[in-house]
Amino acid sequence: MKKIFKNEKETLVFAEKFAKTLHGGEVVALVGELGAGKTVFTRGLARGLGIKERIQSPTFLLMKIYKVSPSTGLPRRQAGSGHKIKTLVHVDAYRLSGAGELVGIGILDWFGRADAVTVIEWADKVQELLRGEKVIKIKMELGEGEEERKIEIIGN
Amino acid sequence: MLVLGIETSCDETSAAVVQSDGRNFSVLSNVVSSQIKTHAKYGGVVPEVAARIHVEAILPVIEKAFGSGGMKKIDAIAVASGPGLITSLLVGNEVARILSWFLKKPLVGLNHIEAHIYANWLMNKKMNFPALCLVVSGGHTELILMCGHGKYEVIGETRDDAAGECFDKAAKILGLGYPGGPAVAAAAENFVFASIAKQSHKDGIAASPRQGGTPRNDIRLPRPMMDSPDFDFSFSGLKTAVLYAARDLKNKYKMEKIIPAMAHEVQEAIVDVLLAKTIRAAKKYNVKTVMLAGGVSANKSLRERFVAAMEKELPSADWNIPDFKYCTDNAAMVAAAGYFHVAKKDFTPWRKLKVDPNWEL
Repeated sequence: MKKIFKNEKETLVFAEKFAKTLHGGEVVALVGELGAGKTVFTRGLARGLGIKERIQSPTFLLMKIYKVSPSTGLPRRQAGSGHKIKTLVHVDAYRLSGAGELVGIGILDWFGRADAVTVIEWADKVQELLRGEKVIKIKMELGEGEEERKIEIIGN
Repeated sequence: MLVLGIETSCDETSAAVVQSDGRNFSVLSNVVSSQIKTHAKYGGVVPEVAARIHVEAILPVIEKAFGSGGMKKIDAIAVASGPGLITSLLVGNEVARILSWFLKKPLVGLNHIEAHIYANWLMNKKMNFPALCLVVSGGHTELILMCGHGKYEVIGETRDDAAGECFDKAAKILGLGYPGGPAVAAAAENFVFASIAKQSHKDGIAASPRQGGTPRNDIRLPRPMMDSPDFDFSFSGLKTAVLYAARDLKNKYKMEKIIPAMAHEVQEAIVDVLLAKTIRAAKKYNVKTVMLAGGVSANKSLRERFVAAMEKELPSADWNIPDFKYCTDNAAMVAAAGYFHVAKKDFTPWRKLKVDPNWEL
């Protein structure tokens, strides 16, 4: 599925809707050059999960952990299915030179956990880490206009 | 009182001994061992390598900080416990814990951003509250209001990328080195309007002199959120604008012709926004002192323009900027912040010391 979004708001709305399709345990692998909108997508996704905190770029801290506030949790449909997502793990591999580095900061603690979703920016840099995980790859590209973005979702 | 400070939040291993009576601070030692060269070699930070280098460096660094004075003379130990990289933070905190137990000296685990703010106290200038501090680094861009020691209110922060990150990523787009801040600043220095003005017609993009001495730059980047009524920042859009401008200009001109003008304009845009919001916040909250802190406050243009803006817009308020060596990560600032915790007997027993990579002030 490939989509074109005219501006940041459309990307946000799409990511928010995408979040509602998650069940927990997924690794969302974001791939795309500088400025492609990876953090913007994560912001929409976080909003969709019911996270109220501000999503800042994790480039320097490498990993940021956000809790879903209980009152704004997921709609009942998902909550009822027993896959309530409580945590969003936001990772940025931009400054890293390989996959082993993320292991060092404890990323494996989060993979596959039914109550967590992990989003990895620059996931192509840590590909070998993702083998065997429930990965949803999202390719992002700059479009023609300054705010236009092309987003392609490649399933598991 | 003598406080030992320990700092291992990110790329620097540092230990310092600072003496203070609460009014004057003197830095008896401030030893910093940097990993920037190692990381540049790897093309980025490698947490495992970073932690290992911290482990190797920490004891010699502390030993050097103690010098001939000996470790028994210190009164307390302060360590930065977050935010930062967990593997790096752990090294400094475990050492601090052991020293506290072994030397039977009280321990303070404190916030790394708080430590950056307290770098200002090392300058021994008049610091009256309420005070406002612009904290700018690779990972942070925050406006913090202080109504007293240890009393912080974040009145504005970045909604996406930090200012230092914007410098770094702009440097990457322009093909400049790592770390990006100094690289962009150095390239901007080459933006000498006289020489470029000569070529401005031929090249079409560069600069021509403007009244008042500042060169006019034909490249114009946005100043995101500069006029928004709040005190938040946003630098992600500026990064994207640099990307598009570079992409367009690259088709018409040689990259080395564009770089100085681009670097200059990126720096101008970042500093314009930072200062506009800082000055506006200082006026709104009627503060008595305005400070800079964090790695980006080592940027020469920011420092010069901050002083000029303060003297023009807020002549009755005091301003302060930490010395260059106290802007980037160092342990003297941790010891200075630690002093105020010790004075209030606000200790962290060694058994309870915990690192928090996401600690918000």
